[in-house]
Amino acid sequence: MRIRLYGRLADAIAPEIELTAAGSTVGEVRRRLAADHAGAANSLARSRALIADRAVDDGQTVGESDELEFLPPVSGG
Amino acid sequence: MSVVALLEAEALDPQLELAELTEAARGDGAIVTFVGLARPESREGNAVDAVVLDHHPTLTRQSLEDIAVACAERFDVSHVRVVHRCGTVPAGEPIVFAGASSIHRRAAFDAADYLMDRLKTEAVFWKREVGDDGAQWIEPTEADFTDRERWG
Repeated sequence: MRIRLYGRLADAIAPEIELTAAGSTVGEVRRRLAADHAGAANSLARSRALIADRAVDDGQTVGESDELEFLPPVSGG
Repeated sequence: MSVVALLEAEALDPQLELAELTEAARGDGAIVTFVGLARPESREGNAVDAVVLDHHPTLTRQSLEDIAVACAERFDVSHVRVVHRCGTVPAGEPIVFAGASSIHRRAAFDAADYLMDRLKTEAVFWKREVGDDGAQWIEPTEADFTDRERWG
């Protein structure tokens, strides 16, 4: 599945990555990314998760066709 | 009544935006505008060459529109115009234009103040200042959040 990242997360990991995670929960994806990218763990913990522009909680199961996004706290304008 | 909220990737010309708002505001008695510039110095006093604003493909523009619409509903204004840059903005160049027109001045002053307090804390951007010392991510300050709380 495709994962899009913004702000500090895009800087620390990549703006976009592909991950085999179908059947996992959002929280499991979040923890896996944090384990693989320790420098981004704090930002990941503070990030909102979205699928199709809608907020999803960490218990949500993701499908292979889902595009999961993690949005760190915004800077504002 | 009109509400305009634009995300501008290339350049923001405040004179042009004011002209558009002035044209829309015929019949009103007041226009209040704010222009935010990319600061040439960070909070820590380091030189800044540019501010880079990352944005979300849909939620950023939506956040601008939500704030502009809320402003138009809250104050007795005739027109609201918000134009915000994304991408790389060299120091000294405009980042944001926020303006409102109304029959009497107070509503337009309040509307512009409200627009900026909400934009500074809620607009969906991720900003970093870039200079000789590298890049520094920016988040709203406590003062920004305190200003935002004035509006409930």
